[in-house]
Amino acid sequence: MNSASTLWKTVKNAMLYLILCVVTFLICFPLIWALSTSLKPKSEIFATPPTLIPHNLTLENYEALLTGRQQYYQAQGAPQNTGTTPAQFFTRWFINSVIVTLGSTLISIAVSTLAAYSLTRFRYWGRSAVPYFSLLGYMVPSIIFVFPLFLMMVRLDLTDSLWSLILGYVCITLPFCMWLMWAFMRSIPIEIEEAALIDGASRYQVFRQIVLPSALPGIIAASIFAMIVSWNDYLFGRVFINSIDNLTLTVGVMLFFEGTHVDWGLLMAASVLMTVPMAILFMALQRHLVAGFGAGAVKG
Amino acid sequence: MHILRHLQSDRAVGLLFIAPFVITALFFMVYPIAEAIRMAFYSYNPLRPDLTAFVGLANFEYIFEDPLFWASFWQATVWTLLSILFQTVFGVGLALLLHRALFGMAFFRGLLLFPYIVPTVVIALIWRWIFNPEIGVVNYSLIASGIIKEPIYWLSTPAMAMASTIMLNVWKYTPFVVICVLARLQSVPLELYDAAKVDGAGTMRRFFDVTLPQLKEVLIVVIVFRTIWTFNKFEEIYLLTKGGPGTSTFNLAVYSFEQSMASLRLGVGAATGVVMMIILLIGSIVYLRVAGFGENEK
Amino acid sequence: MEVRLEGITKNFGSVQILKEVNLVFPSRKFVTLLGPSGCGKTTLLRMIAGLEEITAGQIVFGDRVVNRLAPKDRNIAMVFQSYALYPQMSVRKNLGYGLRVRGTVSADVDAAVERVAKILEIDHLLDRKPGQLSGGQRQRVALGRAMVRKPDIFLMDEPLSNLDAKLRVTMRSELRRFHLDLNATTVYVTHDQLEAMTMSDLVAVMHQGVVQQFGTPAEVYSRPANRFVAGFIGSPPMNFLTAARRGNEAEAGGGVLSLPPLSDDATKAETVVIGVRPQDLEIVPVSGNDRLKGKVSLIELLGSEKLVEVDFVGVRVLVQVRADFPVKEQSEVFVHFNPDRLHVFEAESGQSIVKRATL
Repeated sequence: MNSASTLWKTVKNAMLYLILCVVTFLICFPLIWALSTSLKPKSEIFATPPTLIPHNLTLENYEALLTGRQQYYQAQGAPQNTGTTPAQFFTRWFINSVIVTLGSTLISIAVSTLAAYSLTRFRYWGRSAVPYFSLLGYMVPSIIFVFPLFLMMVRLDLTDSLWSLILGYVCITLPFCMWLMWAFMRSIPIEIEEAALIDGASRYQVFRQIVLPSALPGIIAASIFAMIVSWNDYLFGRVFINSIDNLTLTVGVMLFFEGTHVDWGLLMAASVLMTVPMAILFMALQRHLVAGFGAGAVKG
Repeated sequence: MHILRHLQSDRAVGLLFIAPFVITALFFMVYPIAEAIRMAFYSYNPLRPDLTAFVGLANFEYIFEDPLFWASFWQATVWTLLSILFQTVFGVGLALLLHRALFGMAFFRGLLLFPYIVPTVVIALIWRWIFNPEIGVVNYSLIASGIIKEPIYWLSTPAMAMASTIMLNVWKYTPFVVICVLARLQSVPLELYDAAKVDGAGTMRRFFDVTLPQLKEVLIVVIVFRTIWTFNKFEEIYLLTKGGPGTSTFNLAVYSFEQSMASLRLGVGAATGVVMMIILLIGSIVYLRVAGFGENEK
Repeated sequence: MEVRLEGITKNFGSVQILKEVNLVFPSRKFVTLLGPSGCGKTTLLRMIAGLEEITAGQIVFGDRVVNRLAPKDRNIAMVFQSYALYPQMSVRKNLGYGLRVRGTVSADVDAAVERVAKILEIDHLLDRKPGQLSGGQRQRVALGRAMVRKPDIFLMDEPLSNLDAKLRVTMRSELRRFHLDLNATTVYVTHDQLEAMTMSDLVAVMHQGVVQQFGTPAEVYSRPANRFVAGFIGSPPMNFLTAARRGNEAEAGGGVLSLPPLSDDATKAETVVIGVRPQDLEIVPVSGNDRLKGKVSLIELLGSEKLVEVDFVGVRVLVQVRADFPVKEQSEVFVHFNPDRLHVFEAESGQSIVKRATL
C-alpha cells in the first residue's frame, strides 16, 4: 500500500470519528445538560454565560428531593410555610413507581412465560392465532383503552390505588411480552425437554429445571422492556390516580410546573433520578436488550 | 407403578399454562378495546352516569364537523411525515457510519440505545429547559454564535412548537431505526460486495446496487411501523406542549384525551379512538401486504 | 426386553404417517429402523419412547402394554440426533439428571456417573458445560446420559449424523460394543444403510409409513423383498432393467437373459424388472449365454475398485471391477449376467418373484 492511500485512510477515519463525536454529543447533550443543571446552586443556574461544568458543585437539589425539604423558600432566609410542595412527595412517588413497575412486570412475565411454553409445546385449537392476536394488541395505542380501563377500575373500586396501575401496565406490557416469549420459546429445542421427560422428569420438573433456565435470556429481555414501559408511562398514572400520595414519578414530577415559580435545578435533579434506575438496568443487561430488539420487541 | 393417561393429563398442563393469559387478555385487552368501540356510540359523562344514552353515529358526526378534529388530523400527518423522514434519513446515515469494524464502535452502538430508555417525561422536561426562550442554553448558544439576533420562542409559537416536538421525536426514535438497519446490514453477505468490486462498481454504485436493495425490506417495515406508532403518539406531544400553543400541535391522541378528560365527553373521545384504530388497521394491512410481498420475492 | 408393535398407525390430521406397522424386536437385539427421510421411522421411535400419541395399535414391552405410559415410566433411554444436552448443566449434572430426578441418593448418582464417564472416557470433561465440548464429546455425553440408568430399551435417533465421516466409523463399532455391554434392546433409527448393515442384528426397512422388509442385514441385502429395498440397500445402487419375460427367460438390453427359478404364482407377470448389483456383474471378452454386448461410456476409479458404465440398447448399467481390470472407455465389451445373482420383480407391484428355498 502506498503512502498516499494510507494518508487518505487516516483522514477518512479521522473524519469518521469526528462525525461520531458530533452525533454522540447531540445524543448526550440534553442529558449532560440536565445533569449539569441539577448539580448547580440556584445562583449559577441562570448565570450568563451558562456553564457546562458547574463552578460550585452542590447536591442541594438531590438532598431536597430525597429528604423532602422545602429548600427553595427556606434558602431565602426565614423559613416560611408555603404549603405542600412536590419535593415532599418525591421519595413516596419513587417507591410507588418501583412498586407498580415491579408488580406489573412480574405478572406480565409470569403469565407470558407460561403461555408461551404452552403455545409452543402443546397442540390445541387456536394456538397459532394467539401470538398474532397479541401482536395486534401491541399495536393499539394506550390512549384507546385507557378510559374503558379506567371505568373498569371504577367498577372494581380500584381507582386511586396502585393496583389499578399494576393491572393497567399489565395490559400494555403483556402483548409484547407474549410475542417476545413466544418467539424465544420457539427457538428452544424441544428435544432437550423430551430428553428430560425420558430421564424421568415430570412436566413441572421439565418446566422448572430445563425450560426456565434456557428461557432466561428471553425472560430478561422481556422484563427490561416491560419495566421501561411501566416506569416511563405517564398516561395511565395521570388518568387512574387522584391523590397526591399515590402518584407515580412521571405524573408527580409534572406537578412541579404548577405554581408560580419553576425550580429548574430541582426538576433536573428529579429527571436524573428518574433516569438512573433504567440506565443502570440498561447498562447491566445491555446484551439481552439487543437480543430483544432482534426479536422485534420495540414499541416506540 | 401406576398407569396414567399421561398424554391426556399432559394436555391439561398445556391448558393450565395458557389459562392465565387467556383470562388476562380477555379482561385487559379484549374487553377494553370492545368497550372503547361500544362507547363511541354512546353519550357518556363519567360525572353523570345516569344520562348515558345510545346516540348512534352522533359522536362521529360531531368529530367530523369539528374543525379541531380535522386540524388535529392534518397536524398529526405533518408531524408524522416529517418525523419519519428525518428519522429514516438520519437512521440510515448513522447505521452506515456505524457499520464498520473500527475501534470503539461497540461503545457508540451501545450509546445509541440510550435515548430509548429515557422516560418521555424526562425528555420533555429537559426540552422545556434547554429550549426555554429566555434562559435556555439553545437560544443562548445560537445568539452567542451570532446565528440569530432575537431569542426564538420555541414552544410558544405554533411553527416552532411543531418543530420542537418533531426534534424530540427524532431524537428519541432515530436510534431505533439505526438498530434495525444495522442488524440488517450485518447480515448482508460480504461476497456481494466482493462480487460488485470484481465487476468494477465504485463506492456509490455499491451503495445503490448492493446496500440499498438489501435494506429495502427492513426500511419498509420500519417506516410502516414507525408511521403507525408516531401518528398515534400521545405523550411526546402532550408533555412538551399540551397540544399548544392554542391547539397548534394537537394530534388525534391529544384531541381524544382532551375530549375525554377535559370536556368529559368520553363518547366523543372513544369515537376519535375508533377513527385512530381504523387508520391503524389500514396501516397494518399495508404492512402485511408489504411483508407478504417480500416473501413472494424470495 | 422384547418390544412388540401391533398394528401401529399414526395420523397427523388427515396425513397417514404410519400404516399398520407390525414388528417384534427380540430381547437384547440391536434393531435398526432404516429408510429415507419422511418414511416414518423417527415417528415410530418417538411412539416407542412415549413422546408421540398412538393413533391406533398397541406397543408392548415384554408383556406390558405401554400405550398410555408416560416416557419416564417406560424405563427407556434415548439418544437424540441433536444430543439434547441440558445447556445450563455441567456434564456431570447432565449425566446424573435422570437418576437425581428419580430420587437416587447423591452418592449413588456420583458413583454411577463416574463409572459411565470412565467407560466412555469422558471423565476429564465432567465439569465442563455442553457448549465447551466438541461434537464427538457431546455425542459421548448423550450416550452416557442414556447408559447411566441401565434402561430396558435403548433408543437412538440418528445419533451419528452430526459427526464427521471419520468419527462416524469409529463410533459405529463403539455403539455396537456398548450394546453388547448394556444387555438392553436397542432400537436405532438411521437413513444410512451402511450404519444399519454394520451394527444391526435386525433391520426394518421402511418406506412411506410401511415396513418393506424385516430381517437380518444379510437377508435384506441378498434377498430384497421388493424393488424399493433392493434399490435402497447396497452401494453403488442396484441396476434395474425392464424386461419382457418369456418363461424363464427375459429379453432386455438387446439380448436374452436366463432368470433364476421364479415363484409359482408369478407366471402371469409378463413385464418384469431385473435387478442386479454392480458387484455381481462381470465384464468378459467374448460373447456367450447370458451375455449382453455393450459399449463402455465412462470409467470411474474408486480406489481399489472401479465403476464401469456400460451402455446397452436402451439401458445403461454399472459394473464394478477391480481397479487393475483392463478396460477402456468407448471399447465394446460383453457383460455376463449370472442368473443366480439376478433379482426379479413384478413390474407393477415391485414385489420380488424369485423362488427362494429355505433360508
